[in-house]
Formats: sequence, C-alpha cells, structure tokens
Amino acid sequence: MGISRTAQNFEHAVRAYSADLYRYAWWLCRDRHLAEDVVQETFARAWKSWAELRDVTLAKAWLVTIMRNELARSFSRHKPALDIDAVGEAELPALPSFESQLETAQLVSLLPETYREPLLLQVLGGFSCAEIAGMLATTEGAVMTRLTRARQALRQHFVEPAARKAIK
Amino acid sequence: MNCLEFRRCKLADPRRLPEEARAHVSGCPSCAAFAREVDETERELERALAVPVPEGLADRALLHARAPRRAWRRWALAASVLAALALGAFQFARQDQPALYAHLAIEHVVMEPQSFTTVRNADADAFRAVVQEFGATLKEIPGTIRYIRLCPVEGGYGWHVVFETPAGLATLLLVPGKHLPATQSASAAGWNALVRPVRGGYYAIVTPSADATSRFDRMIRDCILWA
Repeated sequence: MGISRTAQNFEHAVRAYSADLYRYAWWLCRDRHLAEDVVQETFARAWKSWAELRDVTLAKAWLVTIMRNELARSFSRHKPALDIDAVGEAELPALPSFESQLETAQLVSLLPETYREPLLLQVLGGFSCAEIAGMLATTEGAVMTRLTRARQALRQHFVEPAARKAIK
Repeated sequence: MNCLEFRRCKLADPRRLPEEARAHVSGCPSCAAFAREVDETERELERALAVPVPEGLADRALLHARAPRRAWRRWALAASVLAALALGAFQFARQDQPALYAHLAIEHVVMEPQSFTTVRNADADAFRAVVQEFGATLKEIPGTIRYIRLCPVEGGYGWHVVFETPAGLATLLLVPGKHLPATQSASAAGWNALVRPVRGGYYAIVTPSADATSRFDRMIRDCILWA
C-alpha cells in the first residue's frame, strides 16, 4: 500500500468515526472542549502508527482504545482508575421519584461510569459485548451484566408500570 | 431458551440476538412485546446520545494529525504553560473568593440562558417531588413554575428551577449534599445571588437585583419547610 493510499484510508476513518468518538468522549467528560481535544489527539496518535494497521476493519476499536488512554491521561489527576468489576448493583443510582419528568440524557448522566461506558460503546460504537470486554479488559459476562442493569435502570423511566405489568 | 434467558440477551445486546433467541421470540407473544419495548427504549437512547458534534471537527482532526509536529509542540508547550498559570490563578481566585457558591450560582444561570426562554417540566407535582427528594416539605408553590432541570453543579448535581413571580423571573437552585457554613451573597454580570444553607444541602436564588432576590427568598422561606 502506498503512502497516498494510507493517507486516504486515514482520512476516511477520521470522517467516518470522528463524530462517534466525540460523542463517546463527551458523555464521559461532559466538556465539549476537552472532548474535541481528546478526539484530535486520538487521531494524531493513530496517524503516527496508521501505516502499521493491517486490518482497517479493526480501526474503530483501535481508535476507541487510544481514546480511552487519552481520556485516562486527562482524568488521571482527578479521577480514580476505572475498574468495571468493582461496582456492585447497590451503586446503581437511585432515580429521582419524579423520574418521568426527566429526560433520557439526564438519566444516562446519572448512571455510574462503569455502566455508562459499556452502554456508550454499544449504542454509539456498535460494538458487541465481546469487543467491549476486550476494550475494557474484563469478561464478556461482566459486560453483559453491566449492560443489562444499565438498560433496566433506563426502562424504569420509559415503561409505564401498567405496561410493564401487562407484558410480564 | 426460556423467557428469562431471552430477556437477559435482549437487554445485554438488543441488536445482536443469537439464533435461539430469535427462535424463542417468534413463538412467544410476551417476549415479542418485551422486545418491542426494549427496541423503543433503544431508539430513544440513540436520540439522546446524539449530542451535537462541532462543525469542522473532522477537518481539524486531520489538520492536527498531519501538521508538522515540532512547531506544533513548541506552541503546545507555550500554551500549556500559559494555561497552567491561568488555571492556577483562577483556582487561587476561587479558593480566595468569600462568596464562591453565590458566584457559581450566577455563573450557572448565565451559562444556561435557555432556562428563561424554555418551558420545561413546568409542573407543580414535579417541583413537589424535587422538594421531597431534598428532604423538605412544600407548603405552597412560590410562583408559577416554568422550568425544572437536573443539572451538573460544583461537586455533584442540583435542581435548577425557574419561577415566574410578580417581580419577574426568579431562579432557584437546590443542591443536595453540600453543607455550607454560612449564607453567601454576590452580584456579578447584572445578576444578584443569595445562597442559604439548609438541612440536606443549600439553595441559591438568582434574580436581576438584590431587592428581588430578597423578596423571593422570603417567599421561599414561607413556602418551604426545610426542617
């Protein structure tokens, strides 16, 4: 593959994935300036090694891994390291009693990061549980449990109690 | 596969059902209804997560990635030194500020101008629930509610409520969990704020004038029992 082809593939990847990567970063840091910085730095780091990428179908997962490292660097002075297995069900947020008044975005914000991150990777990134487990260095079963609990928490908001009863 | 296993699969990855799960749902009306409801939640979730992306992001990322690194690094180093100095000065100023939370309340209102132009969750029952969530009792609604939103604030989250009062629009921020030693007040950028510690946290009032703030504070104290 020549240099120009490499550059072309890289540009395609930037245009295809920058929006999803930005949204993923935004939902983790809730700061548009930091999210954009992290996206730019992610692609800058990726470009340095882009010619060595053998399978472009893996580019998105690779970019997410770079971005997680960039975010960790940004957060390292302020946040503890993320341990997806260290959070129990008791840490699910107690949703406010007026939950029906809140919007989805606010409910997502209330999810602990250990639940929010796999949810973002699946909904924004389109990754499978096995792929997410690889990125977060945990087991597929642990990811499935986090995703199930995250969606159960969100369902409390969306499904009317009566409707929920009807489909049980 | 039974119904319980199907529902676990559906909640873990709604778009990638294994073959046996697809076989189960095709013959189970109850799980089919459950799957439709999960799919609807998923669509709503996708809409919510699609925050606006800055215009030109991809172009800037390309430019940044391919820019000559040496020159960029010199500028980045200079910029980071300046940023560190500015941040240090800002944090020093904040630590030194006697009415920090009153200033933060004003900053919050200034940064959320749509709270004055949007009607959102304008519901007395929702406000009653917010007050109960805070551990207080609402005796009377202190005006017409226009806006309620759960917002990120310094060190946590708080409820941002806007009321229409005879003296104009007034903002009430209810912040649980943060205990302040004393009342604070501040004026900045054409706004006046009063922050009052109460049981369970603090509340802040922001209006355009000290007079309006004081009047609305009296209304709040008359209408809400904080004990």
